[in-house]
Amino acid sequence: MAGDSTDLIQGTLEMLVLKTLALMPMHGYGIAQRIEQISDGAFRVNPGSLLPALSRMERAGHVKGEWRATENNRRARYYTITEKGRKALRNETATWDRQIAAINKILEASS
Amino acid sequence: MNTLRNLGEGLKALRNKRGRNAEIDEELQAYIGESVSDKMRGGMSLKDAMKAARAEAGSADSVKQKVWSAGWESWADRLWGDMVYSLRRLGHAKALVLTVMLSIGLGIAANSTIFSLVSRFVLEPPPVGEPSSLVTIYRSYEHGQCCNHLPAPVYRDLQSQSQSFSGIAGYYELVPAAIGAEGESKREWGQAATENYFDVAQLKMAAGRGFAAGEEDAPVVVLGYRLWQQKFGGDAGIVGKAIDLSGRPYTVVGVAPRGFHGLDQVLDSQFWVPLGDLRELVANAPKEESRVMQWLRTEARLKPGVTKAEAQRELDVIAQRLSQAHPATDKDDGFRIEPVGSFMARDKKALEMFLLALWIVALLVLCIACVNVANLLLAQGAQRQREMAVRLALGATRAQLLRQMLLESVLLALGGGVVGVLLSLWATYALSSFKLPVPVAMDLSVHVDWRVLLYTFALSVAAGFLCGFVPAWTASRPVMPNALKGEDALARPGHRWSLRGVLVVAQITLSFVLLCAAGLFLRSLERAAKIDVGFRSRGVVMMAVDPHLHRYTPERSIVMLREVRERIARLPGVISATTTDGVPLSMGHRSDSFEVPGRPKLQGANVVELYMAGPGYFETLGIPRIAGRDFGEENPTAPKIGIVNEEFMKRFFQGENPVGHMVNGAGVPYEIVGVVKDTKSRTIGEQQRPVLYRSINQNVASDPSQDGYTVMARYEGDATVLTKAMEIQIHAVDPALAIFNTQTMEEHLYEALFLPRLVGVLFSVFGFVGVTLASVGLYGVMSYSVSQRTKEIGVRMMLGAREEQVQRMVVRGGMRLVLIAVALGLPIALAAAKLTRSLLYGVQPWDVATFTVVPLLLIAVSLAACWIPSRRASRIDPMDALRMD
Repeated sequence: MAGDSTDLIQGTLEMLVLKTLALMPMHGYGIAQRIEQISDGAFRVNPGSLLPALSRMERAGHVKGEWRATENNRRARYYTITEKGRKALRNETATWDRQIAAINKILEASS
Repeated sequence: MNTLRNLGEGLKALRNKRGRNAEIDEELQAYIGESVSDKMRGGMSLKDAMKAARAEAGSADSVKQKVWSAGWESWADRLWGDMVYSLRRLGHAKALVLTVMLSIGLGIAANSTIFSLVSRFVLEPPPVGEPSSLVTIYRSYEHGQCCNHLPAPVYRDLQSQSQSFSGIAGYYELVPAAIGAEGESKREWGQAATENYFDVAQLKMAAGRGFAAGEEDAPVVVLGYRLWQQKFGGDAGIVGKAIDLSGRPYTVVGVAPRGFHGLDQVLDSQFWVPLGDLRELVANAPKEESRVMQWLRTEARLKPGVTKAEAQRELDVIAQRLSQAHPATDKDDGFRIEPVGSFMARDKKALEMFLLALWIVALLVLCIACVNVANLLLAQGAQRQREMAVRLALGATRAQLLRQMLLESVLLALGGGVVGVLLSLWATYALSSFKLPVPVAMDLSVHVDWRVLLYTFALSVAAGFLCGFVPAWTASRPVMPNALKGEDALARPGHRWSLRGVLVVAQITLSFVLLCAAGLFLRSLERAAKIDVGFRSRGVVMMAVDPHLHRYTPERSIVMLREVRERIARLPGVISATTTDGVPLSMGHRSDSFEVPGRPKLQGANVVELYMAGPGYFETLGIPRIAGRDFGEENPTAPKIGIVNEEFMKRFFQGENPVGHMVNGAGVPYEIVGVVKDTKSRTIGEQQRPVLYRSINQNVASDPSQDGYTVMARYEGDATVLTKAMEIQIHAVDPALAIFNTQTMEEHLYEALFLPRLVGVLFSVFGFVGVTLASVGLYGVMSYSVSQRTKEIGVRMMLGAREEQVQRMVVRGGMRLVLIAVALGLPIALAAAKLTRSLLYGVQPWDVATFTVVPLLLIAVSLAACWIPSRRASRIDPMDALRMD
C-alpha cells in the first residue's frame, strides 16, 4: 500500500464498497478506482483486500456478482448491491455515524 | 438461509477447487487489465503500466489465498488435508493403531455399557406422546415423606378438584391372567386402568383404539405388542375378536404400540383391561372405598402452559383441604409430582447412586486406557522428533503441528469408539440376561440406543483430546538442535522423573484400586453364595398354578391343591411334596404387623413375613423343627394356626417357647403350634426377619395369593424328567391349568444372588481390563527405556556387567514404579472399599485376603511386564550397541 494512504479496517471497507455499489453495478477495479477518487486518494484499495471482501459479501448475500464485458471489452465480474446489502449499508452507516459523533465529542471535550 | 447459502457455496468451491481458482485468477487478471488500461490512458507506456499494476496488486497466489480464507471452506480444506495425512501416516503404524484402538475401545466399552444402563433406567422416557408433560402423582405421608400410590377415593378427589391437568388416569399395575385357549393358556401380567389411560398417555395404538368412555367395567382388552405378535401371530384382524382371559371372553379393542409395556420402566405388562374388571381378575383385590389402602398408580397430563411447580402448588392446596375433610385418614398426607415412569424416590436414589458409582469406575477404566495411549503416543512422538523439527524449520507453526497431532489422536480414539460400541453391543446383550428373582414379568433388557451412541461419540473425541494433548504438546516443541541431529529432543535435562514414568505410576495406582474392588466383590459373591439361607436348595423343583385365573372357588382351590400335592408326592423319585403361596428369597412377600396380646408392642420391629404352607413344607425345604408340631391337612374353618421361626420367638416371646400362645397379625388371631429354625425371607443378605407360616388350607379363602400357588417337590434323579411328570400330574387334575414359574430352587437361588453377581462380574471385568492395560503400559515404558539405554547397557556389559545384573537393573527400575503405585493405591483402595460396604455380603471392607492377594497378583503381572524387556536388554551385543549411530 502507498505510504500516504490510510489502512482500512475490514468492516469499513465493506461499508465503502456497498456505498459505491449503491450507485451502480461495478467490477472490482472500478470499485477500487471509485473509492480512491472520491476519497481524493486517501484510501487506496488493492485486490488483496478487495477480492476477499467481495467474496465474503457475496457469501453473505449483500452483493451479487456476474460476468460481463467491460468497456475495454474484457470479461470482468460485475457486482450489484442486493436489497439485503442496502439494508446492511443503512445499518452500518447509522452505526458509523453514531461512532463518529461519539468520537468527535470525546475529541472536542479533551481539547 | 444465509448459513445454508454459505455452506452450499463453500461446498461448491471445495468440490470444484480448480474451477474456483480459475475464477479468482480470471477476476484478478481482469482487475490488473483494467488497471493497466487505466494507467495507459493516464499516459504510461504499456510496460510501465503493467509493472505498476502488478506491483499494486501483489502476488497472485497471495490474493488467491486471501480470497480462499475468506470462506469457511479453506479451514475445512486444511482439516481435510491434515486428516488425509494423518490417516496415511496411521496406515503405516498398524501395530500402534491396533493397540490404541483396542485400549481405548475397552475403556469406551465400559463407559457405553454403563451409560446404556443410565439411558435405559434414568433417561429414557416411556414411549408415550409428549413425555415431558406427563407426570406421576404420588401420595406422601408424615409431611412429605415419600411415597405411596393413591387410594381410589383420593384419586377421585383429585380428579374432581384439580384444574392443572387435562386428564388424570389411574391403574393397578399387577394383574395376572391366563390367556389363550383351555389347556394351552399361559399366565401373563397386565394392568387394569381407568378408561382414559390411553388418552392421557397419548399412545399411538398399533391397531384399534384404547378404552372408550363408558367402558369402565366392560369386558374389553388392549393387547401388548409382544403378546399380540407371540400369541396371536400379529393377526391384523384381531381387533373386534374375543379372546379368553382367565376363562372369560374379552373383546380386543386395540393393540398397544411396539415397545410399550406400561408406564413403569421395568414391569413387562402385556395387556390392559378397564379398572372395573380388577375384581374379576385379581384375587384379594384392593378395597375401592378405603382411604387407607394405597394401590392406584396415578399418571396425569399437565394442561398446556401449566408448569410442574404450579401443579404442585395446586396439589398442596388440595391436600390441605383433604386433610381437613378426612382428618382420620388424610392427616399429614400430601402429593408429590415426579416425571412419568420414574422409580419411587427411595429406589431411585439407590439406583442412581449405584449407577453413579459404576459410571465413575468406568471413567477410571477409560482414564487408564487414555494414559496408556498417551504413553504410546509419547513414545511415538519421540520417534517423530526429527519430522517435527524439520517441519518447524520449514516454517510450520507449533499450532499447526499441535492441531495435526491432536487430529491423529482423535481419529484413533474414534476408531476406539467403534470398537467400544461393538464390545458394548455384546456386553448389553449379556447384561440383559440378568433376571430378578421375582414372580412377576419384568423387562430389564438394555440396548445401545442413540443416546448411548451420542455419548460414546462425545466421549471418544474427549478421550482423543485427553490422551493426545500431552504427547502433542511435547512433540510439537522439540529441543531443535538435538532433534535435527536425531538425538533425544524431548528429554529436558535435569528431570529425574520422566513424564512417562509418572503416567505409568498413575495408571498402575488406578488399576490397583479397581482390582481391589473386584477382589472384594468376588469375595462377597463367594460369601453370599455360601450364606446359609436356612433351607435346602439342592434337589427341589417348583412350579406354580393360579386357580383364581381359572375361576376356582376357594373350596375347589383347596381340594385341587391337595390333589396336586398328593399326586406329585406319589411320583417315583419324589421324596416329599408341598404347596405354598410364595417362594422365599423373591425380594418380598406378604407381611403384616403382629402383636402378642398381653405383651408390650414392639415399636418398628413388628413386621412379620407370612408364608402359607401345606403338609410336608418343612420336610421338603429341609427346615428343622425345634418345638411343637407340623401342619397336617388342616380344617379350613377351624381357628387359624401358625408355626413361627426362631427370630419370631426371640422378638415376640423373648426366646420363651411360644407354642400354645395366641398372636395377632393385622387383626387375625393365630394359635402358635410349632417353632422352626430361621430361614432368609426376602433377600440373601438380609438381617434375619421374623416369619409366621400359616396353614394353606385355612388361608386360601380369607387371604388369597395374588400370584398363585407354588408346588415344591424334593426329589432324587433328573429334574427335567420330573418337571415333565409333575406337569402331567397337574394337568391330570385339571387340563386347563396354566403352569408358570417352573424352575429348580438352585436356579432361583442363582437369580437371588443377582446383585453380588452383577457387581462381581462388572468389577472383575473392569479390574481385568485395568490391569491388562496397566501392564501393557508398564511393558511399553520399560521396553522404551531399554531401547533408549541401549548404549549405556552396552557400555556396562563392556565393563563386565553380567546378563543377570543387567536384567536385575531393568526389572528394579520397573518394580520401583509398581511399588510406588501400590503404596499410593492402598489407602485409596481402603477408602473406596469403605464406601462399598452396603454392597458387600459377609466381607469386611478391609478384607485381609483381598488386600494380600491383589498386591501380590499385581506385582506378579508387573514382574512379567518388566521381565520381557529386561531379557532383551541382557541380550544386547555390546559391540552393536556402541556402533549404533
